[in-house]
Amino acid sequence: MVEVQSHQSTTVELFLLVALLLPLLSFFISFSISEKYSWVVPFITTLLLLTSVVSSVYVFFSVWKHEPVVVQLHWFTIGNFKFNVGILVNNLSAIMLIVVTGISFLVHLYSSGYMAADTSIRRYFAMLGFFTFSMLGIVVADNLLLIFIFWELVGFSSYMLIGHWKEKIEASAAASKAFLINRIGDAGFLIGLMIVWANQSSFNLIELTNTTEILSWQTSASLCIFCGVIGKSAQFPLLNWLPDAMEGPTPVSALIHAATMVAAGVFLLARIHFMFTPPALDVVIIVGGITAFMGALGALVQHDIKKILAYSTTSQLGLMVMAVGVGAPEAAILHLFTHAFFKAGLFLAAGSIIHSLHQAQHKTHDHFDVQDVRNLGGLRKKLPFTFIIFILCGSALAGLPFFTGFLSKDAILTAIQQWIGSEFSWKWFMLAIAFIVSFITVLYTLRMIWSVFMGEEKRTSTLPIAEPPLVMRIPLAILGFASLWFVVCSNPFDYSGWLYSGLHAGKYFHSSFMPIVSAVWVVLALVVGYILRKKSIQSSLLLHNFYLDRIYNALMVKPTLHLTSFTNYLDKKWIDGFIHSTVYTQVILAHFTNWFDRVIIDGSVDGVAGLAKGVGSVTRSFQNGKIQLYLFWAIFSIIIFLIWLII
Amino acid sequence: MFPLQHFLYLSALLFSIGLIIIITKRNAIMILLGIELMLNASNLNLVAFNQLNPSTLDGQFFSLFVIIVAVCEAAVGLSLVLRVYHEHKTSIPDELNNLKD
Repeated sequence: MVEVQSHQSTTVELFLLVALLLPLLSFFISFSISEKYSWVVPFITTLLLLTSVVSSVYVFFSVWKHEPVVVQLHWFTIGNFKFNVGILVNNLSAIMLIVVTGISFLVHLYSSGYMAADTSIRRYFAMLGFFTFSMLGIVVADNLLLIFIFWELVGFSSYMLIGHWKEKIEASAAASKAFLINRIGDAGFLIGLMIVWANQSSFNLIELTNTTEILSWQTSASLCIFCGVIGKSAQFPLLNWLPDAMEGPTPVSALIHAATMVAAGVFLLARIHFMFTPPALDVVIIVGGITAFMGALGALVQHDIKKILAYSTTSQLGLMVMAVGVGAPEAAILHLFTHAFFKAGLFLAAGSIIHSLHQAQHKTHDHFDVQDVRNLGGLRKKLPFTFIIFILCGSALAGLPFFTGFLSKDAILTAIQQWIGSEFSWKWFMLAIAFIVSFITVLYTLRMIWSVFMGEEKRTSTLPIAEPPLVMRIPLAILGFASLWFVVCSNPFDYSGWLYSGLHAGKYFHSSFMPIVSAVWVVLALVVGYILRKKSIQSSLLLHNFYLDRIYNALMVKPTLHLTSFTNYLDKKWIDGFIHSTVYTQVILAHFTNWFDRVIIDGSVDGVAGLAKGVGSVTRSFQNGKIQLYLFWAIFSIIIFLIWLII
Repeated sequence: MFPLQHFLYLSALLFSIGLIIIITKRNAIMILLGIELMLNASNLNLVAFNQLNPSTLDGQFFSLFVIIVAVCEAAVGLSLVLRVYHEHKTSIPDELNNLKD
């Protein structure tokens, strides 16, 4: 039941399928190539991803600002109800297609240098391909159930990739943690799906969009689905898995835990934004605000370069969720787009620092933690290229003018400023949080770049450090380039470029006031950050992310363990005891019935048999084979008979 | 002329002796002898009862017939005993218990 509109759309569908299925093919190929030829895996998978990118670009240009592509296939029938699944590619999906395949391709290219020495390179590239496929599935699916399925697959591949170095105990623990915490959110997602089904009997996004009036169940349904977003996008209170997930390989962190998977939550929010009622949106913005604030504070005090970036990602995702909460999903997607590129760039640049230092350490046998910024410093001379990339992407993260981050942050701030209204209410705190977060963002970005690249070299002064190979520098260059403002629009102070206008259908509001405030604010933050560059904040509370792990340990894990030991005791003592007593009763009863059986029933049968035997042996004794005795008895009986006859 | 009762007494005595020989003797030949005695007792009865009807000699002829049959029977019986003795090296019926379970 494929609805084909025209020849044009079938070509688009073909290219869409190619873009979608090539990563899956890459997954199968990576696993089927033998260990001996594992060196070809990076080439093949990168080529497949490049083809996928080209197809996505074609799909993007066919769909962007045109009619969405809708393909529906019949999946199954229950009774009279037909369940269809399909593809819905509108502007939102098209832009996500570009982001996912693009970043995935760059990460594949980068990984072929970064992971070259890894022994399980086939598994690595296979899971990268599988992840890309699942992520594309979320992006193009037209159906909440299908989105949920791919959502789970994404979680699974994230688990596999975080735990790629499975011999590291921290890595496998982090993988389990990420998976389990995502499960908590996904349980909410599933309940939300049930609520939707119970009320609408449909998962189709187009059909759901057509119900325009706000219904009461939508609040609970959208909040339940938001639980899934909280888990996947590392929002408060389920944000503590993301920093731990940095145990995975750095390109994985760039692809999954910065650019795409964690952004899937924001994408889903934008995709089903029509379902959110005003109260649900209030919850969304508050959760986003708390997350943004906590993530920013966390990033300020971390020492591990990847953890700084992880907390920063959490904080930026919080900002995006806030933007959705204030009813501006297009601003969120704009920020998602820009963030995907500059944060992937930062992660890959951090990865190239780690890679270069590891290579150097390998030669000199001088081992220290290369991810700890306290050991680093003054690397601008030895790694000038990485330094430039860090400056470009970091400026975008900090939201400096002439960089993409400035524009998207501007869009979010404008949306929040419009939303708060003129009267003073709690909503003003949200604007304040957004401003404070953007301030802190500048501080921690400056601190990170300063401590890694400026000042004097610390532990690294004796190391022969060299820039990473070309395959790793090309993706960095592309991502650094993508951090400049003209990627999203021509005017560096007006965010409504080609991207924003494609996502936002109606008239948009743009204040010329906000960019000026924002720019001044950022410059102020830069000055403050420069003054405070040598100061480091010693806060155990922030270093451990408000002790969220310990709180969960005390509130959830410990009581659960106590409950299990208590139920174990109950089980042992009472349930087992009850079973044992019934068992003993049964055994005694069995003994009694055994006795009854043996003595009474068998006895009566044996008695009858014995009687028969006795009678038989008596009668048998007459017939003992002695002829004369027979004669005697015959004559004896005749005599008796005669006596009886005479008498 | 002797009264009939005397013959009958003698005949009953002979019959009883024959019967006791059959029951008590172990050897098959002695059993055959007992059978002969009993046959003779019945012959005596046949001859004695003939005096109730003296015009015919039915009883005498009938007893002659019995004697002939007895001869045949004795011949068959003895030959069987001889054959059994040849097979089993015994002529005592109690010891011929091969068919007993």
